[in-house]
Amino acid sequence: MYKIISEETDKSGMKVLNIDKSDLIELMEDYKDRKYFLSSITGVDMKDHIDVIYHLHNFDKNDYICVKVSTTDEKVPSITKLWKAAIVDEREQYDLMGITFEGHDNLRRILLPDDWVGHPLRKDYDLNKVQYVSVDRDGNEHVSFDDKEGW
Amino acid sequence: MSHWIELNIGPVHPATHGIYRFRVKLNEETVEDVDITIGYLHRNAEKICELNYFVNNTIYFDRMDYIDAMNMEVGYLRAVETLIDMEVPERAQWIRMIMAELSRIAARMVGIGALGLDVGMLTPFFHTFHEREKIQKIFVEASGGRQEVNYMSIGGVYQDFNDKIIEEIKEFIAGFKGKLEEMVKMFTDSEIFWQRNVGTGVLEPDIALDYGVTGPMLRASGIPYDVRKDSPYLFYDKVNFDVPIARTKDNMGRFLVKVEELRQSVRIIEQCLAKLPEGPYFNPKAKKSAMLLLKGQGDVFTRVESESGEFGVFIRGDGGVKPYRVHARSPSFKNLAVVPIMTKGSLIADLIITIASVDAVAGEVDR
Amino acid sequence: MKTGDMGVKTTTLEKALEWGRSNSLWPLTMGLACCAIEMMATQAADVDVARFGSEIFRNSPRQSDLMIVAGTTTKRMAPRLKRIYEEMPYPKYVIAMGVCVIQGGPYVDGYSVVLGVDKVVPVDVYVPGCPPSPQALTYGLITLQKKIRNETDR
Ligand code: SF4
Repeated sequence: MYKIISEETDKSGMKVLNIDKSDLIELMEDYKDRKYFLSSITGVDMKDHIDVIYHLHNFDKNDYICVKVSTTDEKVPSITKLWKAAIVDEREQYDLMGITFEGHDNLRRILLPDDWVGHPLRKDYDLNKVQYVSVDRDGNEHVSFDDKEGW
Repeated sequence: MSHWIELNIGPVHPATHGIYRFRVKLNEETVEDVDITIGYLHRNAEKICELNYFVNNTIYFDRMDYIDAMNMEVGYLRAVETLIDMEVPERAQWIRMIMAELSRIAARMVGIGALGLDVGMLTPFFHTFHEREKIQKIFVEASGGRQEVNYMSIGGVYQDFNDKIIEEIKEFIAGFKGKLEEMVKMFTDSEIFWQRNVGTGVLEPDIALDYGVTGPMLRASGIPYDVRKDSPYLFYDKVNFDVPIARTKDNMGRFLVKVEELRQSVRIIEQCLAKLPEGPYFNPKAKKSAMLLLKGQGDVFTRVESESGEFGVFIRGDGGVKPYRVHARSPSFKNLAVVPIMTKGSLIADLIITIASVDAVAGEVDR
Repeated sequence: MKTGDMGVKTTTLEKALEWGRSNSLWPLTMGLACCAIEMMATQAADVDVARFGSEIFRNSPRQSDLMIVAGTTTKRMAPRLKRIYEEMPYPKYVIAMGVCVIQGGPYVDGYSVVLGVDKVVPVDVYVPGCPPSPQALTYGLITLQKKIRNETDR
């Protein structure tokens, strides 16, 4: 059985459950049985750790809850087996925030080219390092820091 | 014997409605698999929002679902105002509601017009854009902007409604009612439109829920979920309107749901105009000089019903004058992800019409 | 007899070509973002760019000679945009529509937007605005026509 570390209500009146990473799948399975559906996944870079925030929604009871886990090694278990909505959401968070979802079959970048360097929504991402994208004849994208190679 | 073809559609293609790339695996004319590549319009709005003051970020939300700017603003401001505990005066809330519904109509006009273009009907496009132009005139009168309006700000709206604007809205509503029926008739009288829409792009409700689909697409699958009804914001609990659903789950159902929602929007605007109270149109706590000093602490996640579905905004504030993290749960992003399921096993021509009826907006998919 | 008013006007071949070109610009639908909707509005009934001979928005680069870059060009899109430009036949012209395409606009602080499409393709006319109104785009088109005809505003 999973353990809820703490429970609170946030400013918008939503119930927030703080749990440990290892309990995530179990809790999500429980909520899936209670007819909750995944609404969104958000990653927040807190410099020393990353918060991953899941919003679940029950259409019958019209209830929204928020599940928070935090991770120091940028890894959390994937919940794509439970809800298909997680496929694109986890890919997006992997792309922009660099969270590895373990167990996701197709964890590729979704918004940026495949070999983009760095994860832009991290707080330590350097905006001054400009990257350029070029496309070769076969349609593969290449990223470089040299503006002569761009487009 | 099967004959495999891999077909590339996009990124720039009239049928994609924005810039996506569809790689379609065809077995003769039957779609076996669709691989959607997005990200050609990734404009890093979420990152830029972290660099700006709370009040400045409205413009990036305007440009997310760029055809439905007012609803995006309502969505962002609902989150920010919850975060920084800002009250909004009543009149401002009613004004916001009128504008949001007008914007919804304007957005649908683009969507329906483009749907017509995709089935080869050029005429409705000119009619829908003519109506949209009238709404944009009202927006110009109120805010100065035609499309990316930046009309609402924290604690109220930029400018009060004067009699001229109210008169214009009334005039528009009076004309629009008849015009809408006329436009819908253009579609439904056409045999081709029926043939191409009925029975194509079927989306079962359990798949829709599993993929996080919301908005008209979910309602066309038979689930009456509308944020305006289920967790009312602004004053949606004080007006009467119905949430239409369709049982056919196909493209035609989606079209009819969208049309019925336009009628409901008209109904809402009429009630709002009747109830519009007198009073201030912005909260004096949020006057211009104080705007940059507004601070927020904690997490919020709020949702509104935008043109394409449930638009949620997550904001974490660290007690400073800028948001620590902004995340938008964009409905089009989820709605687009279900296209491969909807079109599996259908003809390639049905794929095009399904993409048009999903009506994803690139700016919101990629943000 | 030879007074010259026989209903004949003499001109150089070049002038005639320029006149023809400038009045039948066929734009390519290069709608990338928000500005694309305003480009559609330019085409629609109220503004009706057909008055200036540009009503036929072509979807194929091989059939068009004017590229209206409407909307933010991201780094990922730029190589594709360039390729489409290269596929257009000569003579070809480019209108940059919107501040995003001119210098980055609201997204100038970010990491994935090309700061000015003129770094990718040569631009003839810039139409500022966010988004520019259909009237502004029409004015840009007229300016381009004047440019093709080698006329100057005086
Ligand atoms: S200039 Fe403004 S309206 Fe046009 S694409 Fe850029 S952000 Fe959108």
